[in-house]
Amino acid sequence: MLQCIFLLSDSGEVMLEKQLTGHRVDRSICDWFWGQAISQGDSFKLQPVIASSTHYLFQVVREGITFLACTQVEMPPLMAIEFLCRVADVLSDYLGGLNEDVIKDNFVIVYELLDEMIDNGFPLTTEPNILREMIAQPNIVSKMLSVVTGNSSNVSETLPGATASCVPWRTSDPKYANNEVYVDLVEEMDATINRDGALVKCEIYGEVQVNSHLSGLPDLTLSFANPSILDDVRFHPCVRFRPWESHQILSFVPPDGQFKLMSYRVKKLKSTPIYVKPQLTSDAGTCRVNVMVGIRNDPGKTIDSITVQFKLPPCILSADLTSNHGTVNILTNKTCSWSIGRIPKDKAPSMSGTFVLETGLERLHVFPTFQVSFRIMGVALSGLQIDKLDLKNLPNRPYKGFRALTRAGEFEVRS
Amino acid sequence: MFPQFGATAETLSKASSMVFRIGTDAHLYDDPEDVNIAPLLDSKFDSEKCEALKRLLALIAQGFDVSNFFPQVVKNVATQSLEVKKLVYLYLLHYAEKRPNEALLSINCFQKDLGDPNALVRAWALRAMAGIRLHVISSLVLVAVGKCARDPSVYVRKSAANALPKLYDLRLEEHTSAIEEIVGILLNDQSPGVVGAAAAAFASICPSNFSLIERNYRRLCEILPDVEEWGQIILIGILLRFVIARHGLVEESIMFSLHSTKSGESKKNGEATKISNKEDTGYASGNDDFGLGADVSGNIDLELAKMVSRCYIEGPDEYLSQLSYANTGPSELNVAQFTSGKRNDDVKILLQCTSPLLWSHNSAVVLAAAGVHWIMAPRENIKKIVKPLLFLLRSSNASKYVVLCNIQVFAKAMPSLFAPHFEDFFICSSDSYQIKTLKLEILSSIVTESTISFVFKEFQDYIRDPDRRFAADTVAAIGLCSQRLPDMATTCLEGLLALTRQEFLSSDFGSLDGEADVLIQAIMSIQSIIKQDPPSHEKVIIQLIRSLDSVKVPAARAIIIWMVGEYSSLGETIPRTLSTVLKYLAWHFTSEALETKLQILNSIVKVLLCAEGQDIQSFKRVLNYVLELAECDLNYDVRDRARFLRKILSSNLDSQGLEEETNILSPNKDLAYVLSGHIFGGQTKSSSPEPINYRFYLPGSLSQIVLHAAPGYEPLPKPCSLLQVDNVDQGTNGLERARNSDSFNTDETDSLSGSLDEEGASDYGSEHSISGSNVSGGSNETGSASEGDDNTDPLIQISDVGNAFENQHGVSHSGSADLGELISKRALESWLDDQPNSSNTSTSEQSQVRVSTARIFIGDIRHRVKTKSYTLLDPANGNGLKVDYSFSAEVSTISPHLVSVEVFFKNCSSEPMSDILLEDEESNKDSNSADQTLVATDSSLTSHNNVPILVPMEEITYLEPGQTAKRIIQVRFHHHLLPLKLALFYNGNNLPVKLRPDIGYFVKPLPMNIEAFTDKESRLPGMFEYVRSCTFTDHTGELNKDKGDNVVVKDNFLVICQCLALKMLGNANLFLVSVDMPVSTNLDDASGLRLRFSSEILSNSIPCLITITVEGKCNDPLQVSVKVNCEETVFGLNLLNRVVNFLAESSLVPL
Repeated sequence: MLQCIFLLSDSGEVMLEKQLTGHRVDRSICDWFWGQAISQGDSFKLQPVIASSTHYLFQVVREGITFLACTQVEMPPLMAIEFLCRVADVLSDYLGGLNEDVIKDNFVIVYELLDEMIDNGFPLTTEPNILREMIAQPNIVSKMLSVVTGNSSNVSETLPGATASCVPWRTSDPKYANNEVYVDLVEEMDATINRDGALVKCEIYGEVQVNSHLSGLPDLTLSFANPSILDDVRFHPCVRFRPWESHQILSFVPPDGQFKLMSYRVKKLKSTPIYVKPQLTSDAGTCRVNVMVGIRNDPGKTIDSITVQFKLPPCILSADLTSNHGTVNILTNKTCSWSIGRIPKDKAPSMSGTFVLETGLERLHVFPTFQVSFRIMGVALSGLQIDKLDLKNLPNRPYKGFRALTRAGEFEVRS
Repeated sequence: MFPQFGATAETLSKASSMVFRIGTDAHLYDDPEDVNIAPLLDSKFDSEKCEALKRLLALIAQGFDVSNFFPQVVKNVATQSLEVKKLVYLYLLHYAEKRPNEALLSINCFQKDLGDPNALVRAWALRAMAGIRLHVISSLVLVAVGKCARDPSVYVRKSAANALPKLYDLRLEEHTSAIEEIVGILLNDQSPGVVGAAAAAFASICPSNFSLIERNYRRLCEILPDVEEWGQIILIGILLRFVIARHGLVEESIMFSLHSTKSGESKKNGEATKISNKEDTGYASGNDDFGLGADVSGNIDLELAKMVSRCYIEGPDEYLSQLSYANTGPSELNVAQFTSGKRNDDVKILLQCTSPLLWSHNSAVVLAAAGVHWIMAPRENIKKIVKPLLFLLRSSNASKYVVLCNIQVFAKAMPSLFAPHFEDFFICSSDSYQIKTLKLEILSSIVTESTISFVFKEFQDYIRDPDRRFAADTVAAIGLCSQRLPDMATTCLEGLLALTRQEFLSSDFGSLDGEADVLIQAIMSIQSIIKQDPPSHEKVIIQLIRSLDSVKVPAARAIIIWMVGEYSSLGETIPRTLSTVLKYLAWHFTSEALETKLQILNSIVKVLLCAEGQDIQSFKRVLNYVLELAECDLNYDVRDRARFLRKILSSNLDSQGLEEETNILSPNKDLAYVLSGHIFGGQTKSSSPEPINYRFYLPGSLSQIVLHAAPGYEPLPKPCSLLQVDNVDQGTNGLERARNSDSFNTDETDSLSGSLDEEGASDYGSEHSISGSNVSGGSNETGSASEGDDNTDPLIQISDVGNAFENQHGVSHSGSADLGELISKRALESWLDDQPNSSNTSTSEQSQVRVSTARIFIGDIRHRVKTKSYTLLDPANGNGLKVDYSFSAEVSTISPHLVSVEVFFKNCSSEPMSDILLEDEESNKDSNSADQTLVATDSSLTSHNNVPILVPMEEITYLEPGQTAKRIIQVRFHHHLLPLKLALFYNGNNLPVKLRPDIGYFVKPLPMNIEAFTDKESRLPGMFEYVRSCTFTDHTGELNKDKGDNVVVKDNFLVICQCLALKMLGNANLFLVSVDMPVSTNLDDASGLRLRFSSEILSNSIPCLITITVEGKCNDPLQVSVKVNCEETVFGLNLLNRVVNFLAESSLVPL
């Protein structure tokens, strides 16, 4: 079981330590950790499980904050990692983002949350709904109140009713004047296009996100028109397994508010909505670049927020890039970002320019990978369709809303 | 004005500069010490305490030691504000171990909180109390955990489960069984949330105590999907271990390959693989576009699968060490240790209940469930885990790595599983380097004939990746692929050669280190491919040799030069080019790097030894030239190598070497020649598959990621180990075993459930009494009524109905409407001869839960009480003097610390005795040897308050043979458990004797009526209440005796009451307050019978209340649960133990 959790800032400062068991962990382990991180560079920061001479460390890095957990004994590593991710989620949800200041400013809440979330190294309450009832979220009102009165308690006086109920994820008996439930299909397209311009891999990772504001204890049933296209699924704990196994129907009592009902995968898609064609030709120490972007398969809705990003290869001394549409920026970490926005009707956006190679290098022999991002509102590119949503146990007819959104996930074009 | 901004202008400006931070605790974190914390802690305002505590917390967060505030913080534990309480707990838990003495100050507060009506407060108190980890209070914590394990609130029960490992961490040998019992109770809990936490406790406390699992295996399986995700992870592992220990491995599973190869049943083995092959390929061709129908290598890697399963069971370290000294370790597994997954219900249900968990949104749960299927599922069903595992790759980067590490093992042992999904292992640019290498390794182990073209295409892209380390790994992976698929070797070689040509272009300019790695890796891959079949790759070797001029990387050159030496006699072209190549090498020798120089020396010697004909002379000249150069080299290694070679080859190099001469040279030189031939000329063996020495740990374990056994790693239990124990036992003493297990099962569960019920009820009672201030309300009048009736001597008197529960509600005055209900009950009619003067008032809820009860009066039975007597001195030891003693109910008038003991002296010898006296041993010593002052002071210290240890008895001057004498002594025991040493004088002799105390007589009766009793009881809730149960059998003898006589049919209930009361009164100095009797239609059911006793502790007059509740059938042994309410925790617990002991002790002393 976990013995200690440290929160480290992006400069390696230990912001918080929370000892969990009787075997305390000295914070010198953080010094060791940070020393390693500096000497080994980025690859160390991406290593989730680290065996030091005294402890096993699990690290999860979120927005510059390192969540470090220590143990000395065997335990499922994914449990630790998943828990740290959960902590990061809950904290960023509570504090409206994650950074060094916000954690320091709210360190008491962080302590209180950690104390509720883990007991003796074993996760205790991780359900955000229950946590929110136990420990109040800091908001403008409470902040102002604390300034005026100098006193505010964010610790709940009683135990949330949900801890005892059979649906521990649901706030006990919420009441709403107008009942409403929104179901969003949020899809991310992962695609890999190789040097020859062939689509190597194209799949959709999708989430069914539900925002429910329903009174009482409603029972919802959601069915899809074409569930057979789903390659694999994962569910929120509220989903009952049986109906899905037999009829591919989602039957659940929803948590209150926003949550991820299900995530799914649709594999082997045949085409992408846009194309990106990079061309690199090098000769005599310079390299000409030309990147074209256009619509391949019109999804019927506007594609916006298109950006193309790539990392300049290390052997490039300087780059000069211009585009006929949108803006091109070269960031300090040698990342070049071309933000296009929407594709204009009259012309195909293109970016062109030259790289100057290192002296002695005639040709470019390593090629960058272009990462493309875009967003399409109103379309689920996987083709998944929601058939209907039935609600039971509700006093009055609720408002039901459906939306869809597709954006690029790991959309890569190799050159 | 705003105290939290601090007084200084500096902090004020700081605060104002950050508008967003207003209202947060920012200033506390930035400057925790800008105000004096100590006075704030003593403030009477919660807000100031709160601020001080937050400052302390900030200091803790920043790594300062603020334990010096401990005493002041502990004081605040009694606060009413939950926020302060929480902050105090946070502080307390951080430092408690450092300051154990001060931490003890908080215990009373926790105990109070444990009785709080707010479940959150109870849970926190328990968490904090267990969290401070002090040995001293472990028994208190154990009691608290035991209580909370029966708490009505799920959250509190969950906290209790979490507290168990904390207790266990203290290494309390004496409590182990009690802790395990509580684990059992919690595992049996109705709420899935509690079961999850209990599973975690089980795993860390008693992971091999499978009897706890066996009892409710099925229920655990069924509840599994509802358990919290974290509990699921642990519970899955526990269930898997249990099934393996109970039933062994599954013969259809991949683990069975171990057995089939091991026992050499080649036929069966072949069959098995054939079947699996068919299934695999069937599946693959059904699902995969590329059709793996023709794939031969798609089946299971049996060798590896065998290793995997052995590693899982024995642990890799043990297994590998076995391998090292004995090629085949003792095969402990046999067919009997396998079970059929299709027929065994336990296996089936486990697989059934874990398969929906593959859809969990917690990746750890998915991996744990996948692990179960990997080990237990029939081979054809394992594919179920593939998609969920691959889906995990879409979660966070950190978990991606861990999942890939596990997939790697699965893919290696059973490549067909993942072969159709090769695309999922294609690399994204966002992957970290570790993930990339893992993916490459997996790809190269699952690649098949039909998919290799796609994979190679992908690899070609990777080689152009800007991360050259990754590109080098890709090149190595190409080598691995072609080793797996020899048919692809030529394609691979072409690609690799093209690469070397490309790469040397860039390396020619010596631009980057990374390029060198790629090149080396490429040459190494080529080398490994050539090794497999050198003759067919002759051209490749020549191409490489030709490229020597352009390859500049020393390591790469060294490998090529090695090939020159190794394959010098291969084919026809190579030998012809040799002399040119060797001259070229010699020419460049001085400009080479170290490793190349060494390799050149080796290769030339090798070539020379293999050479024939006229080349030999030129080769010798070359070698001589190179050796001379080498002997003057700057590097020691090169010089040494050169000298060594010259010595050993002296025969070959001598003069201009006449061959005949060498042949007839001395045997000495001949030997050197043979030796050199062996060293350099030995043919390399055809590369045998490399010995596998991977280490495999259970899927999902930490050890699998770090590749060594982490502390606490346990391999799977030995298959069927649980069953074997059973068999052995049954073989030897089957009958007894059966009986034992029987009684174990029934008794245990009975007592558990019984005490659970009882506990629940009393708990509610105490809670209600806290909230409801009026305790005695309506029962007052009934009480007085019963007093009035006392004189009219019926043995039984209904004075009140309804149990304590209702009394506290004060409902008895409301319920006369229910009169009819009561009278109609025949059970009651048989009891009564006059009208009840009160009514049954059971509410509807009440009647469901408990039977109604009637309060009866069993008259004065004190005169029938027989006190038990103990032997102080045996006549055999005491020359015929027999001394017995028994505790007397009399209360000493001298000091409350004294206990009266009646001592009986009997002369069993034939001669008279004189001067018998019992004295304190210490004072005796004191008088005997006056110089032992030390002892004397000691004894005077112990006997504080000037109370003597023993009030001396009147001396018996003379005792005739057969005569008895009785004396009363008053003794002050040092401790209510430890015996007191006394000295017995008689006939001038001195005998040491030990007087054992009986805690039952450290109390004196405290007369009170039932109202006072319930009132007192309600004031001693929570930690002051302890319950244990036991079995009571005394009454059975009595009842059976009655049956035999058949003269007066006594009432069963009455007999039980009397037995119980007599037993209690006979063993402890108590006052019988009341007897409640169940009124139910079932005359045989004694459940609900309740006796109450009151007493007060002699030394400090603290009241001590005992309630006994009976469960069970009249004629059977009864389950008796004893509850003690007492403020003195330790005393109360000891008294409870004593009561339970003597109740359980079966003594059939006739009345």
